[in-house]
Amino acid sequence: MKILALIKISLDVAEIKVDPATAQLRLEGVPEKVGNIDKNTIEAAVRLKEAAGGTLTAVCLGPASAKDSFKDVLAMGADDVTLIEDPFGGKGEPGAVVRILEAAVRKLGPFDLLMAGFASDDGYTYQVAPRLAERLGLPLVSYARQLSLEGGKLKADRDLDDAIQTVQVDLPAVVSVAEEAFPPRRTTLMDAIKAKKKPVNLWTAADPLGLSAEELAKNSRLASSSQIGIVVHRKGQVFKGQSAAVLADKLVDALVEDKILKGGA
Amino acid sequence: MSANQILVFSEKASLLRELLGKARQEADALGWQVAAVVFEGDPAAASLGSAGADLVYPVPPAAGESPERLLNALAEVARQAQPAFILMGATKVGMEAAASLAERLDAAYAPWTVRFQIDPTTCAATAQCMLFASSGMATYQFTPGLVVLTSAPGVFPKPAEVEKTARVVSLPLAQPQGRLEVLGSREKVRGATSLEDARFVVDVGQGVKQREDLALVESVASLLGGQLGCSRPVSSDRDWFPEWLGLSGKKVKPDLCLCVGVSGAVQHLVGIRDSQRIAAVNNDEGAPIFNQADYGVVADLYEFLPAFSERIRARGLRPTWTA
Repeated sequence: MKILALIKISLDVAEIKVDPATAQLRLEGVPEKVGNIDKNTIEAAVRLKEAAGGTLTAVCLGPASAKDSFKDVLAMGADDVTLIEDPFGGKGEPGAVVRILEAAVRKLGPFDLLMAGFASDDGYTYQVAPRLAERLGLPLVSYARQLSLEGGKLKADRDLDDAIQTVQVDLPAVVSVAEEAFPPRRTTLMDAIKAKKKPVNLWTAADPLGLSAEELAKNSRLASSSQIGIVVHRKGQVFKGQSAAVLADKLVDALVEDKILKGGA
Repeated sequence: MSANQILVFSEKASLLRELLGKARQEADALGWQVAAVVFEGDPAAASLGSAGADLVYPVPPAAGESPERLLNALAEVARQAQPAFILMGATKVGMEAAASLAERLDAAYAPWTVRFQIDPTTCAATAQCMLFASSGMATYQFTPGLVVLTSAPGVFPKPAEVEKTARVVSLPLAQPQGRLEVLGSREKVRGATSLEDARFVVDVGQGVKQREDLALVESVASLLGGQLGCSRPVSSDRDWFPEWLGLSGKKVKPDLCLCVGVSGAVQHLVGIRDSQRIAAVNNDEGAPIFNQADYGVVADLYEFLPAFSERIRARGLRPTWTA
């Protein structure tokens, strides 16, 4: 069994701050790491690899500087990582990003399973797995919670809004993993030592994929785009350092002032 | 057939009406048509005119059975109807179908849309969309051509009913095929009450230690006629509630949201940030929730909540939403 797992170096969205005066998003200095959903994806892939035997390659489109970010992924059980240096520096349109990933996946050769998170931690737009499945002409098992291999087929529970649907499909297939469905395992020192010997192969879009950012950008349907931050307008009053009864009175006072509570003497 | 049509789909009936209402507004400004895709035999189909649909395209019920069948049916409708614009519901089903459809039709795509406009002269669309788990908002101006957008429940208001009957147009559609074999399906347990309409929500976080402690939280909720919600781990890991509040869960907009033991992860805050007032109790002064709250109380919730109830009773207060 050959498994490919797509992972993303994601921004920690909790650390994205908004300048309250200009409503600009402050993205500089926001920590980046392999996303939580991506570690869930690796966990799901490692479990299938353990059950069926075979290899697991993690595929990442990201900055070349991310080369040292995959220690956990390799310690968890991925055999190697293919890091494709992102020609768009993280700002590529999904349509172009998916074309690079498609080329990389095809270059890595025939596989049984291509796995990805249902969405990335930062973009959260749910589109890479469906678009890739469409481009590759493969069935997509989305929002997977339970995964097992039975008689050469993949069986999965799909976590939908109102229901859990159980499906099965022939391989090869694309699988997107539901959030928090596969909590990543703890790794040991031994795992970490083994991981050091595993390769992280650095590719570019040009070599060996033969793609250029300029060509990819020609497919764009955007005339322009801009971003602003959402400014939160909250009072931010903090009550502390007093007895529970005094603090309770202070909150009650505030809610009376706001006309949320009324009446009383 | 019609390069002046907005095609609308959601498998969720209430969301479909919201999307149709918004599509109607845009279509009226442009002199365009609004068409809805429904499953054959859906009893609600005839009434979609009252939400703004001019046309209804039924697709075989099999299209509802798996994502690939749905995609194939929607793609075939789009091929025959040739809409200029496709608006879909941002549910899990809709997000998957919309992204696949955009890729198949080579259309521009933007999810999590909260506003959009179509230029009457160029027919080019502009969309404002939530970004970075809703920390930001992007504005996309598209070049002319087919655009697919998704919008979440509650983004557009429920439309006022108009007196109008949609024309049912049966396109020649084959049974949609798909490679997924569906072995079974079970409904998730739903909350009995509608959290979305609650005026007061007590939001339970991981700081509430034991399931038995919910009695304490419930006593505050019932004192002020409110309902309980929770953060995702309280639902998914502990299984105390079938639903959670947040980016991937329910979104509430009460007069008051009282967060108890909630740390304030950004994905959770998305679910409560439309509250008029947010009050938070947490014993960790550094908890991010305090940056997002109107009132932060740094205290042990087990001491604070009984005191809070006691002071409200002692002062003879009641919430404005009770008579």
